[in-house]
Amino acid sequence: MLAQQLVNGVLLGATYALFALGFTLIFGVLRVINLVYGFYFSAGAFMALFLTRQYGWPIVAALPVAAAGAGVLAIALDWVLLTRLRRVGAPELASLMVTLGAVLALYAASTALLGPDIRRLPPDLIGAEAMVIAGVRITAAQVLILVATAVLVGGLIALMRGTRLGLALRAMAENPDAAGLMGIDTGRLAALVSFISGALAGAGGVLIGLNFNAIHPYMGEAMMLRGFVVIIVGGLGDIRGALIAGLLLGIVEVLTAGYVASGLKEAVAFAILVAVLWTRPVGLFGRAVVRRA
Amino acid sequence: MMAWWDDFFWTYQNLVYALGINGLLALSIYVVLAVGQLSLGQAAFMGLGAYSSTIMTVKFKLPFLLVLPASCVVPVVFALLIGGPTLRLSGVYLAIATIGLGEVLRAVYLNIDYFGGALGLSGIPERAGVGAIYGLLVVALLVLWLVGRSHIGRAMEAMRTDETAAEVMGINVPRYRLGALLASAVLAGLAGALSAHVSSFIGPNEYGFEPAVTILSYALLGGIGTPIAPVLGAWILTLLPEMLRGLADFRLVFNGLIIVIAVLFLPRGLLAFRLRRS
Amino acid sequence: MNRRHLMTGAIAGLAASTLPAAAQAAGIPVGAIEILTGPAAAYGIAIKAGLELALDTINQKGILGGQKIALTVEDSAGDKNQAINAARKLIGRDKAVLIIGPTLSNEMFAVGPVTNERKVPTIGTSTTATGITEIGPYIFRTSLPESDVVPVTFKKAQARGVKTVALMYANDDAFSKSGFDVMKAAAEKLGLKILTIETFGSKDTDFSAQLTKVKGLKPDAVTISALVEPVSGVLLQARQLGFGKETLFIGGNGSNSPKLGDIAGAAADGMIVGSPWFIAKPDPLNTAFVAAFKAKYNKDPDQFAAQAYDCMFIAAAAIERAGAADSEKITAALAKTSYTGVMGPFAFTAGRDPASSEGVVVLEMKGGKFGIAS
Repeated sequence: MLAQQLVNGVLLGATYALFALGFTLIFGVLRVINLVYGFYFSAGAFMALFLTRQYGWPIVAALPVAAAGAGVLAIALDWVLLTRLRRVGAPELASLMVTLGAVLALYAASTALLGPDIRRLPPDLIGAEAMVIAGVRITAAQVLILVATAVLVGGLIALMRGTRLGLALRAMAENPDAAGLMGIDTGRLAALVSFISGALAGAGGVLIGLNFNAIHPYMGEAMMLRGFVVIIVGGLGDIRGALIAGLLLGIVEVLTAGYVASGLKEAVAFAILVAVLWTRPVGLFGRAVVRRA
Repeated sequence: MMAWWDDFFWTYQNLVYALGINGLLALSIYVVLAVGQLSLGQAAFMGLGAYSSTIMTVKFKLPFLLVLPASCVVPVVFALLIGGPTLRLSGVYLAIATIGLGEVLRAVYLNIDYFGGALGLSGIPERAGVGAIYGLLVVALLVLWLVGRSHIGRAMEAMRTDETAAEVMGINVPRYRLGALLASAVLAGLAGALSAHVSSFIGPNEYGFEPAVTILSYALLGGIGTPIAPVLGAWILTLLPEMLRGLADFRLVFNGLIIVIAVLFLPRGLLAFRLRRS
Repeated sequence: MNRRHLMTGAIAGLAASTLPAAAQAAGIPVGAIEILTGPAAAYGIAIKAGLELALDTINQKGILGGQKIALTVEDSAGDKNQAINAARKLIGRDKAVLIIGPTLSNEMFAVGPVTNERKVPTIGTSTTATGITEIGPYIFRTSLPESDVVPVTFKKAQARGVKTVALMYANDDAFSKSGFDVMKAAAEKLGLKILTIETFGSKDTDFSAQLTKVKGLKPDAVTISALVEPVSGVLLQARQLGFGKETLFIGGNGSNSPKLGDIAGAAADGMIVGSPWFIAKPDPLNTAFVAAFKAKYNKDPDQFAAQAYDCMFIAAAAIERAGAADSEKITAALAKTSYTGVMGPFAFTAGRDPASSEGVVVLEMKGGKFGIAS
């Protein structure tokens, strides 16, 4: 039973990490806590739902298209909401508030439009039958999540560390003004980061919607609290940190529910958050200096 | 005419109470915004005030005159717990930690039978009324107005506009921020206690993320130029859905858009342009 | 806009919104408070449909010498404050002599004290939590509390050889929590061994930790008290984790919805649920109701519509027997109700709860549809 619980924990943790990837990327480069991020997550899931239900697309086709769609949506919303604030160099709380208002309006409007009901992807989209490996049960959707998380984390780290683009992004994260002077087109880079993070969110929404088989407008909001815990504990902007923190949180939550009390599952996440804020605000794996007031 | 008035007041009594209570909540977020911080825990502080005061009234049978001031204690303790580590850091940390606070308190109320679990606490006697609610609102407005005109108010404004400059001027920024967060917890706690004692029932799902954002939209609609502005914002946002029934469905869309528009285009608040001292 | 204009505007607006009361005065004013918008709107909309279908019949003949009942349905959106405002408006402005609703038990705990203070009889048609009618002498309910339904279901399970149970419930809404309290009490009373109690949130999507733990304990039955969405989620994930036919799943009132089969499909097969009403109940009154409902709304009625349908007739009969549109007299008449409707014979106990649970049937999921359990 412990083996199964650990697998459950790793799977849950992978969904948290998957959700947090783009979230922490936006902060890492653009220095914004972009709360609309949760909406890209819902939007990606709904696009995949539409493509598979309406047009009978297979999941391999619907997943990248939905991710790209969420990415384009992210460029558009970032442009509407944040370019103005970036131009005047507004404090980060201003952008936090704008995205907060926007995401609330977007969730409420999409609920009014689509209804609050939980929707499901077509049942035969991916085998729901579990495979049994050494007494541990795992489904195809869960394997897909593990693989996708590993590939995306690896790809992002390679992009940031090993390419010229990554260098430009890191320069922009360090100091946007200086990066601009050095000839980096910060406007286009911001759009690119928005697209990547929106696409990550969209892909996460599809995969998680597929795994738990539940898609509804507020699904992004439900993940948001865990997303906060993961990016703070992992260190704001730290991609590898987000992966480790996500897995850790998933395992701790599952073990708490399995061996202590299921009601404490949610409180555990927050206890970790407060403990990290008190003792190591840069995050468990953070090296960056946290800007102090 | 008297009978008509009695019926009229009875019908809208809850709304009259809500206007006063939401006014206090608007002031509670105003205090935090005034030092350039953002808290999304005002609903959580309100919930702490509501739960602690209800327990004092229902389980310990304490008199309301004692319960009301005591209802600030628990919110203040939690404000210290959250504000202590985060206020030394940049503003996003407080915002994130306070969002989390609302969620975890909900889990606590739900899982501990003493707090009634999902059934909430019911049978709360009606101890508060127009006098208590509006009396406190007027006192809070006066105090905040006086503080705003004093050297504390000028320090707060300096921090909001340029915190580095404020530090250079010798203002102890973290201490002011903590002070503001504690004051806001007091106001929200009082509002929670008052609302619990006019509505006979409180539940664990009333103090989460959405009410916190609604409280923020009060202040951003009104603007934070003077303390009266956020209160007016609260009144408008409380009255509008009552008067325009169709709007009720889109209340959250509306509140969200107000925040977006206010921050992007009218940083002084939608109403502020008429209220600012010229 | 300056301050004075704002306040005058507000008061003028409020005064204007009280005016339609006079225009609506034709007929006997009855109010209903239901959830018509928001996440739980499906329940309120079903109830409203049931009430209005009954009203068609009642108003054809009229009561109290040909008068019509003027029903005003206010939306609570599932929000406590909006429900209280609605109750105050219905009583203060519309002078409603009787209130039906509100939809959720939590709302009743907030609204009940207000209507009870004004001595206006209030009948819940869907409030199944414990303690509803203890709010006051003017609070009634026609919905069978879970404490009457669950033991019937559990006895059926025991007859099938169930000796050990694991109890699961959503701990964040009043309905699921009080359903669980009842299940726990019933299991203890029947001598079923409770192996574990596991909670989850109504909006959770991952139940794997709890289910894995339950599976390790090998209970004969797993009971779930939650609304239909999370119940479906639990069942789907349970099948993935390898729960098979050897485990009996038992649902509460929340599982008693055709949506269970729509969402969970074959994963829900074999689940048993107790219900105060069953659409295919072979009873002429019931068949006529189902046919009339289908004709008017072009869909099948559910339990909530059936309960509301009966409630409207019970209320109308009480007003008729009271002989006047007077709240105090209607309350007295309600207490003496003896009525046979689509749910079966109905009377109130001295505590204003339904007197008989004879109508309860145990249903079982087969191929995505409910049928009578064998």
